[in-house]
Amino acid sequence: MTAPQPISVIIYALGGQGGGVLSDWLVEAAHLAGYRAQGTSIPGVAQRTGATNYYVEIYPEREPDADPVFCLFPSAGDVDLVVSLEPMETGRALNAGYVTLETTVVTASDRIYSIGEKVVPGDGTASASPVLTALEAAAKKLVSLDIGAMRERPNATFFGAIAATGVLPFEKDSCRQAISATGIAVESNLAGFEAGLVAASAPERSDDEDPATAPETAPPSLAELTAQFPQQLRAVVDQAISRLIDYQDEAYARLFVDRLRMVYAADESAGGAIQEFRLACAIVPRLAAWMAFEDVIRVAQLKTRPERLRRIREECGASAGEIVRVVDFLKPGRAEFAGLLPAWIGRQLSRPESGRPRGGIAFKITTSAPWGYALLKVLAGLRPLRRGMMRYADEQDAIDRWIEAVVGVASSDYELACRLVDVARWVRGYGDVRDRGLSRMEALCIDWREKLADDPAALSVEITRALDEALLSPDSNCAPVA
Amino acid sequence: MAEVAKAVNRERSFARQVAKLQLGEGETFHGETILAVTKALLQSGVSYVGGYPGAPVSHLMDVLADARDTVLAPLGVQFEASASEAGAAALLGASIQYPLRGAVTWKSIVGTNVASDALSNLASAGVVGGALIVLGDDYGEGASIMQERTYAMAMKSSIPLLEPRTHMPKIVDMIERGFELSEASHLPAMLSLRIRAAHMTGEFVCRDNRSPAFGINSPLPGANYDYERIVLPPSTYVQEKAKFEERLPAARRFIVDNELNETFGPSGGRMGIILQGGAYGTMMRGLTLLGAADAQGVTKVPLLVLNVTYPLVPEQIQDFLAGKDSVLIVEEGAPAFIEQQIKAFAQEAGLVCRIHGKGLLPEAGEYTADTVRDGLRLFLEGLPRTDLTETAKSRAGALQQDVDSARAQLNEPIPPRPPGFCTGCPERPVFTALKLLERERGAMHISSDIGCSTFATLPPFNVGSTVLGYGLSLASGGAVGPSLGTPTVAVMGDGGFWHNGLTTGAINAHWNGHDGVLVVLENGYASATGQHHLPSTGSTPWGRQIQVSTERTLKGLGIEWVRRINSYDLGGSLKTLREAFDKRGAGLRVVISDQECMLARQRRERPAKAADKAAGRPVTTQKFGIDEEVCVSDHSCMRVNGCPSLTLKHTEDPLKDGPIAHIDKTCVGCGLCGEIVETVGLCPSFHRTERFANPNLLRRLGDWLNRGLMRALGAS
Repeated sequence: MTAPQPISVIIYALGGQGGGVLSDWLVEAAHLAGYRAQGTSIPGVAQRTGATNYYVEIYPEREPDADPVFCLFPSAGDVDLVVSLEPMETGRALNAGYVTLETTVVTASDRIYSIGEKVVPGDGTASASPVLTALEAAAKKLVSLDIGAMRERPNATFFGAIAATGVLPFEKDSCRQAISATGIAVESNLAGFEAGLVAASAPERSDDEDPATAPETAPPSLAELTAQFPQQLRAVVDQAISRLIDYQDEAYARLFVDRLRMVYAADESAGGAIQEFRLACAIVPRLAAWMAFEDVIRVAQLKTRPERLRRIREECGASAGEIVRVVDFLKPGRAEFAGLLPAWIGRQLSRPESGRPRGGIAFKITTSAPWGYALLKVLAGLRPLRRGMMRYADEQDAIDRWIEAVVGVASSDYELACRLVDVARWVRGYGDVRDRGLSRMEALCIDWREKLADDPAALSVEITRALDEALLSPDSNCAPVA
Repeated sequence: MAEVAKAVNRERSFARQVAKLQLGEGETFHGETILAVTKALLQSGVSYVGGYPGAPVSHLMDVLADARDTVLAPLGVQFEASASEAGAAALLGASIQYPLRGAVTWKSIVGTNVASDALSNLASAGVVGGALIVLGDDYGEGASIMQERTYAMAMKSSIPLLEPRTHMPKIVDMIERGFELSEASHLPAMLSLRIRAAHMTGEFVCRDNRSPAFGINSPLPGANYDYERIVLPPSTYVQEKAKFEERLPAARRFIVDNELNETFGPSGGRMGIILQGGAYGTMMRGLTLLGAADAQGVTKVPLLVLNVTYPLVPEQIQDFLAGKDSVLIVEEGAPAFIEQQIKAFAQEAGLVCRIHGKGLLPEAGEYTADTVRDGLRLFLEGLPRTDLTETAKSRAGALQQDVDSARAQLNEPIPPRPPGFCTGCPERPVFTALKLLERERGAMHISSDIGCSTFATLPPFNVGSTVLGYGLSLASGGAVGPSLGTPTVAVMGDGGFWHNGLTTGAINAHWNGHDGVLVVLENGYASATGQHHLPSTGSTPWGRQIQVSTERTLKGLGIEWVRRINSYDLGGSLKTLREAFDKRGAGLRVVISDQECMLARQRRERPAKAADKAAGRPVTTQKFGIDEEVCVSDHSCMRVNGCPSLTLKHTEDPLKDGPIAHIDKTCVGCGLCGEIVETVGLCPSFHRTERFANPNLLRRLGDWLNRGLMRALGAS
């Protein structure tokens, strides 16, 4: 009873990442090096974008006295190597008991989000950091690799990283031979393998966040405006100010500051200092985002940024000799067009018609060509006229009603005021999505005064429900499409 | 579809590995179980093979198709891609009257259910040529079907069930013995492989392939007539008696004489374990980790390994039980048929032995290594204390402690990861359209089917009310419509349509005048199993050109309202679906979406594009993108799409509400994102980029002009 135990390896991958090929390489490398090995996999329905896993056992002696008995399942507490191409899947392995102090872990550090995380309005994502921290403590050794930085499919790089850990009983050359023996994309896979060897020797833990863009700062002429607010607000206020200058002009940024000052004052007098001015902090991004509402002019402005076409070129990986055409999908509705007109004309055109689909005209505009670009440029050029337009007037009215409500509620219920700030997440998106959100918001901001006086508990329930709905069932009363 | 699917274009091609099927006596085979099974069939001298694809034996059909012309035909072996499992089971009818060995394959339990009519008749008539059914038992992790045991089917029809040790030489040997067992008992036999066993790699020493005595290269002397083989009284009564008085006893004799079941470990002893062959690996691992065995097969605990789980041989079981105080039965799934029989055998023989099983091991669910080890630990803990039980106890405790302390490091929940449609899948837009139609017409009763389209029942679509079986969606809504008072919608793939949907669904609905809509997702293949060819694909699995038209078939039945949609045209699809839904009183309305499976299409187009690009020919590549600044993190687009390439990206912008939408480099440019913007008016942040590699002179000239004008406009 002294026979050594097989070396056990689990590979976690998502459909399409090449986990099966990686598993085949491992088995083939063992075979070429004269070791007995057994591989298996669980593709099942998971082969279509879900999680798949592979399990390989390698017997560590070249010529055992008797046939080794392999097992098709990993055992909790008895896994030598966990390889995972997605960090949450590595976390799943840890939860299943497959990572202990005997286990070497080679994992991707960057997230591939699941559908459940994607459909949440706002941020529904789970961070990889706690999982990587847990693995650091739970495993014998942790190697984490940034897949996003890899050029091709990550499996060959992972194979290299596995070979570098020293868990396999055979030489790296057997791995190279296994890649060559497969006969598919040998050159790029061998390059990936070598890159993995290097990466695992000098592991670098990277976070799943993208590199920061340079923070926007307010111009010096407006710098004194931010100084009146407490420290924790200043950086964001700075950004908000420069965003709104970009959006309209300095006067518009000052309007933002005036509105914020009202809320800050209400916050202060409600004793917000001990709460770190939670109310004012919360309203800065929401107010700035709302004030920078995306009308036709704004969208045209963003889509005609001088650096945009170059950035898109890079994103789609076009090489020097390739020509890139960019086609934008826009579907402004009657409301969007009416919004561009002075209020007294616009109202005539956009009378609400209940139950009727919203409609709109679908445009496909080639923004990489002169005519398309020029069209958007003209629309963006309407910016100085924005203050006279119906949409502007409507949005400002709605914002003022909201600010008024927040300030009013803050004096009697600080917590509820914070929630009323958060409810502005309803005011988001475009077209029908925004219309629905806006009317949801309006309803809350109309008779809050009476409700606060008569039945504050009911108002609290109403606001909380609106907030929950915004988060949990954002499409609950979607209008039909045209 | 016809023009795109001429060539054989499956997810996995075994063309390169088929050479391994030619290995001769003494040579070592090294590869997958699926290939080893095929080799074993050829070594057994089969005359014919067939089957219906389904995980985990889908690829057995691929191997057979790839080997058809080069290996099977020269040997004299006939191959048929059956229309359903019922068709495959009926194929075994050749072995009733003639000394022909035949094998078929399918997914169990569902395929066995579909085949059960033919199987009952086959087992009653009895066979003279060995008939073997290779089952992929889709049970446990990774399964896509309801969890039931094949064992009940074996019992009710008296079909021997082989569940070999998951050791490749043993699997190959049991296939060869399976034919002999079938001929010795005149019963067809089933050999079951679980998911992990079907995908296993390993090696075995080959024997030469055998040409069948009779087959496509050496015809039978003539057709037979034998009324005793007809399933009609009085033959049926004779057959029933024969099954229990002659055939099963003959099977038991064969099992014992040929030592199909195996014992390991010391003989005698006060305790032991009886297990299914498939559980041998997990049991040995459990024993090893608890210090009662080693990794080279030496065990201190006596084991009786049942490579044949039906029929059991009472004498063999009783011999093993004799003199033992405690025995553990390891039997996966419920009901515990084996345990019940063994308890009865013990009682009949007057043996006083405590028989454990489902008390120590879970009633239902897969028996993983951890499950088996845990049951083993409980079994050993209940025995009188010995060195062995004490060692087991301390080892189990140490392992548990290691695992617990590692797990304690992670307190965050891990988000679940349900499967979904692939990037660019042509079925996704149909469900986007149905979801949008539901916003107009209120919630609809939508009957789902088996296949990729079942993924629509998961987020983000959550579309689908019931799943009743392959091709049964239309039939399953039959009683719903009249009670709801609204038309119902049934969705099925082309696989389901040809399997069962045409007869049980379309004909039935047309005949009974159902008021409803059938959506046929004709993507050209049985895609979920790996793009297997169908009657409407345009060619057989081995490349013969033939096409059966879905549309003409339906029209031939007299169904008038049949429309085709291009699912990537979301607005058009929605319009047609709306029209179909609203067409009350027009009988069955059929909407056929006829875009090819994107996996298959990419597999064909990607290499062609790469070759064009390398050769300097013009190549256009489409991809979608999102303007970061325009996206407002509402993610409405995700809730009607769910494409894997449409994902999230964190931004440093503190004024955004969360991560913004992002289209990663796996986008294939199917266009749905743009269609959603056009149809729903969702969001202006989407753009399409078209990359022209190796542009021709005209395009280069245009680009030159373009860039000049754009510079003048200040665009770059």
